[in-house]
Amino acid sequence: MKVSFILNGEPVTVDVKPNEILLDTLRLKLNIKSVKRGCERAECGACTVLVDGRPTYSCNLLTVQVEGREVTTLEGLRDDPIVKELTSKFVERGAVQCGFCTPGFIITAYALLKSGKELTPENVKKMLEGNICRCTGYKKIIEAVTAAAEALKK
Amino acid sequence: MALTEDPYTLISKWLHAREFLVVGKGIARADALDKALGTAKFVEDYFQEGMLFVKQVLSTEPHAKILRIRDEEALKIPKVVKVFTAKDIPGENQVGYALPDQPLIAEGKVRYHGELVALVAAEDIDAALRAAELVKVDYDPLPYVLNPLEALERKDVLVHEEVGSNIAFRTKVRKGNVEEGFSEADVIVENEYRTHHQDHVYLETEGALAIPGLDGRLTVVTAAQYPHLAQSIIARVLGVPASNIKVVVPFMGGGFGGKDDEGPLTAAKAALVAHLTGRPAFILYTREESLRMHPKREATIIKYKSGATKDGKLTAIDVKIIHDTGAYANRGPFILWRATVHASGPYEVPHARVEGYCVYTNKVYQGSFRGFGNPSVQFAAEMQMNELARKLGMDPVEFRLKNMLRPGSRTITNQLLEESVGIAEAVEKLAEKVNWAKRRAECESFKGRYRRGIGIGVAWHGISTSRGVPDWSNAYVKIDKDGSVSMFTGIVEMGQGSPNSSHRQIVAEILGAPLEKVKVVFGTSDAPDAGATHASRGTSIGAIGVLVAAARVRERLNKLAAELLGCKPEDVEIKGGVVRAKGTDKELSWDELIKQAYARGVDLSATGYFFLPKGKFNDELGQGQAYPAFSYVAMIAEVEVDTWTGKVRVLRIWPALAAGRIINPQQVEGQIEGAAVQGMGYVLMEQFVFDDKGRILNADMTDYIVPTTLDIPEIEKPVYVEDLFKYGPFGAKGVGEMALIPAPAAIAGAVSHALGKPITKLPLTPEAVYFELRKGGST
Repeated sequence: MKVSFILNGEPVTVDVKPNEILLDTLRLKLNIKSVKRGCERAECGACTVLVDGRPTYSCNLLTVQVEGREVTTLEGLRDDPIVKELTSKFVERGAVQCGFCTPGFIITAYALLKSGKELTPENVKKMLEGNICRCTGYKKIIEAVTAAAEALKK
Repeated sequence: MALTEDPYTLISKWLHAREFLVVGKGIARADALDKALGTAKFVEDYFQEGMLFVKQVLSTEPHAKILRIRDEEALKIPKVVKVFTAKDIPGENQVGYALPDQPLIAEGKVRYHGELVALVAAEDIDAALRAAELVKVDYDPLPYVLNPLEALERKDVLVHEEVGSNIAFRTKVRKGNVEEGFSEADVIVENEYRTHHQDHVYLETEGALAIPGLDGRLTVVTAAQYPHLAQSIIARVLGVPASNIKVVVPFMGGGFGGKDDEGPLTAAKAALVAHLTGRPAFILYTREESLRMHPKREATIIKYKSGATKDGKLTAIDVKIIHDTGAYANRGPFILWRATVHASGPYEVPHARVEGYCVYTNKVYQGSFRGFGNPSVQFAAEMQMNELARKLGMDPVEFRLKNMLRPGSRTITNQLLEESVGIAEAVEKLAEKVNWAKRRAECESFKGRYRRGIGIGVAWHGISTSRGVPDWSNAYVKIDKDGSVSMFTGIVEMGQGSPNSSHRQIVAEILGAPLEKVKVVFGTSDAPDAGATHASRGTSIGAIGVLVAAARVRERLNKLAAELLGCKPEDVEIKGGVVRAKGTDKELSWDELIKQAYARGVDLSATGYFFLPKGKFNDELGQGQAYPAFSYVAMIAEVEVDTWTGKVRVLRIWPALAAGRIINPQQVEGQIEGAAVQGMGYVLMEQFVFDDKGRILNADMTDYIVPTTLDIPEIEKPVYVEDLFKYGPFGAKGVGEMALIPAPAAIAGAVSHALGKPITKLPLTPEAVYFELRKGGST
């Protein structure tokens, strides 16, 4: 069946199976590789995308559910000033190790920074709780997100 | 003057360098931006529709004869190409690492619930999935054994009949006379410890893509921690020369040891299908398959007796270590050796007896995981130290320092440690930083529902392979005509960062080339064999070859530059793209120097082979040189225990490391923080639940729980003591595993302090702590 949605600002129409998850449609049919397959059980957050601006696990959504909605991945945000600040702080602060979870963290952190919420270490932690990292122990990730928020305030 | 090519001379020359351009600096790693943007490629990113998809059929019995495998129904599914079983393997169906006991695909019988029985190849993922469910296996169930203590006794139920018992392997250490040692002791502590399986939960599951004919060979893109090992295992399974196989390991989404064991097997499965069909074949484990199939951290039973005099000197230890190795030995014998020779902890003990048993059971098998047999035995050793200190009325840190290994000490294998033993200084500095005695007293003032405790874990970890097992390093460095530098290594990039941080820094440091001109090509079997990326050796051993190769080229550049600048070779300085005669204004650019080298016949390519010198080791007595050097680590943890619910929170962790030169402090911190949190997960929340058939019931990330941002403690800046290792690159020793090793001891020690009770069993889940608190009717 055909599904149409907005992907990174551009309208797309894809032929999908009724039980196809958004993660598979993005990776296998639309060449969106920043979205990673970690658990397929809505636990690890490596496949996080924005659906109408909200961080969402793309493994936990059927593609038919995004009909008419806006899906955003890192591919569509590479020139965004918030993403640029985040990626530069992740690099500078040593928040990247294997890198498999990193795009998911950047997407979630982007939504947090975009929301304009007051940032405290506690709500940064709370917001990132749905993304698992097995390498860094999170400390440098939390520092990088906080530092990016500080830099963007200036 | 003749050029120096001798690796010992070159290693020593750079070990004694005093000023550095990039070594010792927290330089960002080369791959970080691509990873942050999601453009760095992992195995699955190379898959394209149209390639064959391979799905696994797993055993549903813990121990059974395979009577028949019926694929008729499966083959009726459109787009299914073929079902492969053990009989389709053209080469040897043998993939055991330490012992030849393991098939790639079960043959004759299955030995655990989850073992691979058949592979289904289809044109389409859904077809492969449906077909795998339709492959019917007729089993004749056999009696099975799940408990290692029972397996030790049983002769009627054998996981491997040909062995004649369920003991896969035994190890021993015999030093001095243990009975005499205990007769000199004023206090004796005796306990039995239990530790459990842990899964790696790397975010990327196992995968491999095999493409026949690519680059003139069968090329396999896979996530394996040792490309040359994957290459040789594929060659063995297919019955072809290794030179017909190329293995490329792109960015890997975490390894932690698990992909050292499972990586080559994953690669062999894809390679088998590609080889037999002549088509590109792709396999990707689901999370459930990954959790059910791949080897786990060893589950152990450790019986430990130790004695000390009233002035606080250890006199003897008597240790029995039982590793539940599961269905296959895998690397179990090596894991057991590591546990055995480290059983004392980093302390001097005059009399020691250690017995190790690697025992088969009908469960998922044990394997490599960060620390490799050491976190469990260091936990037992350190809990013993706490109990001895308590009985002696001594402070636990003071008691440890009285017995700690120092330069000139002998280990329990009677190995003389001449140098590079910085642990005592590290522990002293750490205790001072933490204000140990005061903080300990403060913890004891918490009396209500929430109690506080503080604990210390001190550990050691041998660098390189154990005993006389050969180990080496190598790399290939070349400079192209435009002045750009390439370095090729078999060391992989799984997050640890050795190729993209320390290797790159070492090449830039030695050549004096600008960092941005240095490109590292990692994880390829076309590079010289540098050994595996495991055992904290990516930099400590892997970069020795990098250093030697680069240093050979530098010697040649110095000679050429000296001729061009009219100075002595030792007065040539190269930095920031400028080549200068020391103390003069005579200079030329890096690019010009390289042009001149090409014009004047100077070879700008070199390999850096180095064979690590090893001492003698007697396997019968377990005496001799166990490792060429040891890294040391200490960790202090402070916890809060909710006595109503049993929930433990780790509040703060203070690490200390004596691992030689710190090449990149930012990356080393990252390793310490990550290992500490992985260790905390192991102690507090991670565990498998097995049913009565040895099946894992929680093979998903919903019920196998790993730490999130909300679980983490404050982690303080590490204390470093740079106790240089003479063969290490710039004196570096291993780092990657280190901070996980003392974590169980530090955290369990803190919980024990908070509760005022000894802890002998992990994990410390809320229910475990809750019932521990209520044992004996108290609280």
